[in-house]
Amino acid sequence: MMKKMESGQDESQVLEIAMEAGHILLENGAEIARVEETMERICRHFGVEYENFFVLSNGIFTTGNRSGDGTGGQYAKVQHIPVKGAQLDKVVAVNQLSREIEEGRYGIEQIKEELVRIRQMPGKGFLVQVLASGIGSACFCYLLGGSLVDSMVAFGAGFLLYMFVLLTDKSHISKITKNLCGGALVTLVCICCYRLGAGEDISHMIIGSIIPLVPGVAFTNGIRDLADGDYISGAVRLLDAVLVFLCVAIGVGAMFLIYHRVFGGILL
Amino acid sequence: MIGQMIAAVLGTIAFSVLFGVPRQYYTYCGMVGGAGWCLYSVLASYTPCTTTEATLFATFLVVLLSRFLAVWEKCPVTVFLTTGIFPLVPGAGIYWTAYYLVTDRPAEAADNGFAAMKAAFAIVLGIVLVFEAPDRIFKRKKGRLSH
Repeated sequence: MMKKMESGQDESQVLEIAMEAGHILLENGAEIARVEETMERICRHFGVEYENFFVLSNGIFTTGNRSGDGTGGQYAKVQHIPVKGAQLDKVVAVNQLSREIEEGRYGIEQIKEELVRIRQMPGKGFLVQVLASGIGSACFCYLLGGSLVDSMVAFGAGFLLYMFVLLTDKSHISKITKNLCGGALVTLVCICCYRLGAGEDISHMIIGSIIPLVPGVAFTNGIRDLADGDYISGAVRLLDAVLVFLCVAIGVGAMFLIYHRVFGGILL
Repeated sequence: MIGQMIAAVLGTIAFSVLFGVPRQYYTYCGMVGGAGWCLYSVLASYTPCTTTEATLFATFLVVLLSRFLAVWEKCPVTVFLTTGIFPLVPGAGIYWTAYYLVTDRPAEAADNGFAAMKAAFAIVLGIVLVFEAPDRIFKRKKGRLSH
């Protein structure tokens, strides 16, 4: 949805890169205020003045005009940006880029290239992420009072959990199902290990292992959006976080119930 | 205590990796997480503070440190805040709520769920209040986009 008129070329390009920068920021876990601010900075720097942005947690609406009275080149675009996992190094990179743009180090073409480069920045490898999840689980298990053996089990459970998360990442399974299954999977692994004699306290093992599912980015960003007065986005992000929390809890609970029904006698 | 402290630092770093934080910030993230947890556990075990209050004060510390680091490193505060807050998130409370619910002990479930909610609100309050502090407190020189 883009209209270009006579000499609106430059404005369109500036708004285009501003939007692309906003897109990358929003997608990778920046708060609304930062997205708006960055987009505005880019426009100001290139002298585009009559522009308006409306940023939500999953979309950006932009309109621009050559002059304030509605004549001249016009630009309008709506972009839908689905919620997905955060990759904070991209936020850092765009932030850095916007600072460098203000210092006047880039022309429009170069910025376009930079944005493409940032968009294609590789994420962490499969093994690294899975290992990180395992280590995180083990650490939090220990932190919350688990023994060393418990932590080892939590490492295994967190490892398997993130394998599951990454493998289902591309599929169309809803977030709700995914987190339910994640919670259940962790519980299953921990119960199995516990029955086989590894680990002393099943609760600590499970608590440690579900931590990688905790929606930290959505939670903190939701709070910050609310504090900034971006109520719609803040509410949506907090809802997202609460929903994930609930699903994980239900997954854990459901697995306990299944275990109870199948083997009788609740454990611990 | 020291073991837990190390676990908090390592755990926070592990989550920085998961969230794709640039490598040069890993140590800072770990330090923020470790400091937050340290304050939390000292307050919760050695002072009359309740766990909710301890969470609130620890959140203050985490947000303050994150904002300082964000200005010094000229990098979005999100990087340090999201990861540093992790050890304070009431993951255990959520687990116990679910556990008591399925074991048919509603009173304990309610207690734990309520405690988890109080901790979550303490985090919310802590973040919101510290972000009210004006930017210039954290600025040493002309830093931009410091939050």
